[in-house]
Amino acid sequence: MTAIDLPRPAPARALPFRLLAPAAAGLRDFAIALALPALILLLWSLGSAYQMVPQQILPPPAYVFENFRDMLASGELLQHAGISAVRVAGGFALGASLGLLLGIAMGLSEAIDDYVRPLFTAIAQVPTLGWIPLLMLFLGIGEALKIVIIAKAALVPMVLNTSAGIRGVPASYMEVAEVFGFSRWQKLRRLILPAAVPPIFTGIRYSLTKAWTALVAVELLASAEGLGYLLVWGRQMFWLDTMIVAMVIIGVVGFAMDKILALGEARLQSWRIDA
Amino acid sequence: MASGQIDIRGVSKTFQVDGRPLVALERVDLDISAGAFITIVGASGCGKSTLLRMIAGLERNHRGEIRHGGQVIAGPSLERGLVFQEPRLFPWLTVAQNVALGLENAKVSGETRRRLVAEHLALVGLTGFAQAYPRQLSGGMAQRAAIARALVNRPGILLLDEPFGALDAMTRAHLQGELQRIWAHEGITAVLVTHDVDEAVLLGDQVVVMAPRPGRIAEIFPIDAPRPRDRKDEDLIRLRNAVLEALDAIKDEAPRSAVPH
Ligand SMILES: Nc1ncnc2c1ncn2[C@@H]1O[C@H](COP(=O)(O)OP(=O)(O)OP(=O)(O)O)[C@@H](O)[C@H]1O
Ligand SMILES: [Mg+2]
Repeated sequence: MTAIDLPRPAPARALPFRLLAPAAAGLRDFAIALALPALILLLWSLGSAYQMVPQQILPPPAYVFENFRDMLASGELLQHAGISAVRVAGGFALGASLGLLLGIAMGLSEAIDDYVRPLFTAIAQVPTLGWIPLLMLFLGIGEALKIVIIAKAALVPMVLNTSAGIRGVPASYMEVAEVFGFSRWQKLRRLILPAAVPPIFTGIRYSLTKAWTALVAVELLASAEGLGYLLVWGRQMFWLDTMIVAMVIIGVVGFAMDKILALGEARLQSWRIDA
Repeated sequence: MASGQIDIRGVSKTFQVDGRPLVALERVDLDISAGAFITIVGASGCGKSTLLRMIAGLERNHRGEIRHGGQVIAGPSLERGLVFQEPRLFPWLTVAQNVALGLENAKVSGETRRRLVAEHLALVGLTGFAQAYPRQLSGGMAQRAAIARALVNRPGILLLDEPFGALDAMTRAHLQGELQRIWAHEGITAVLVTHDVDEAVLLGDQVVVMAPRPGRIAEIFPIDAPRPRDRKDEDLIRLRNAVLEALDAIKDEAPRSAVPH
């Protein structure tokens, strides 16, 4: 690449500040984000230290952490987490790729949209939990049930965001394509798909989040393994430390996935700002 | 180079705005002979862009007929290039890739393609910015990239909607010169909309003065001054004043009702 004579950023004097400012801001945001969790942890410690809640109901944080270490060391936690991860990966891959295809088809074709959207909306309105009883009758309570439930949860946001992204390609760009005599395929490849990448990525992000929450729901109701199962199991055995560990892990993993995808999304959106 | 003649016959265009009809163009007649350079001036909203977009084939549902080389225009064609009033660069492509969009359907080899893109970037003074993205360009630079994109496949008819409006005086003068050179050298037909009466008189074989509400052609000034032209030429200055007077007269005229007939 040739040297680009781009408009120069700020003068050298301001440079150290410019470099530090984002890092400092990031650190501050991080601290702010941790404030509430820290407060809850504090109340929890105080609550159990002063026996405001019986220890059988709310074990102290140190106890829960110890349990977490034991479960980690024994491999139990990783085994459950691994099973959950495989289920989410399978269901998400299935649901998101079907959702992508359906969303593209609905975005491109008014006719397909007219046929599919009413039923799709109705299906999407029934929450994931509502599908489990019916699907149990057809699929039993094996892996197929879990994959299908997770896939359904992943499909919905993918379809909505993809079709909206494709519909949302600005008419002004479509006119450019027309002036240059683009074929349908050229419009799709050169304009519609690239323009729809950011909304599709948003779809992937919501899709994965939904898949993760659906996983927990289906494991709560119909599973003998996985993080969701750990949660019910802990409650049934009154091992509340186990239950809390499972909850925290589910929350932290979900949070981390969403955060990572949000970063990718922000990068993709950057050209949108002045588009 | 058969760039073909453009015949505009009794063209009217009505838009629906808030459920009410708005006459953007009313019974426009204009002949643009092959190889001519036509400039169009007129107040904002008098239908200049609409007329240009109709010649390009982008506006449907109008009354009257527009023919290109005898054929009724039914849609866009690679033979008619358009520089939009806004740059409309694709933000996910580099400047060079944006210019190459103009060659997407040209039958040229990859090598020629690269050469043509580079030549046209040089023409508009954007060589150093080939790999930059549109968001890294100023408004004037983006418009120059859009001009390169429209020129790169050398359409027989070049339609330009205020292409130099966002440029500084130096760059504008340079690109006016380049446009004249390309037009003369390639024998293409050019139709250029502008707010700048000096520019209209400098470049045009004919200056079409349009009037608003409803949009129509008020007067056509032939410019017979020999080329290359000098903007300080006495004749040109006289013509410029005449065009300005015509525009002033239109401004003072009471607006007619905009109800279609
Ligand atoms: N797509 C549209 N829908 C409704 N009204 C429109 C549309 N396009 C143009 N118009 C109307 O038609 C009239 C002419 O618009 P046009 O863009 O052709 O004006 P113009 O002469 O190019 O103005 P300017 O010099 O400001 O660019 C305006 O009143 C405008 O509001
Ligand atoms: Mg205009």
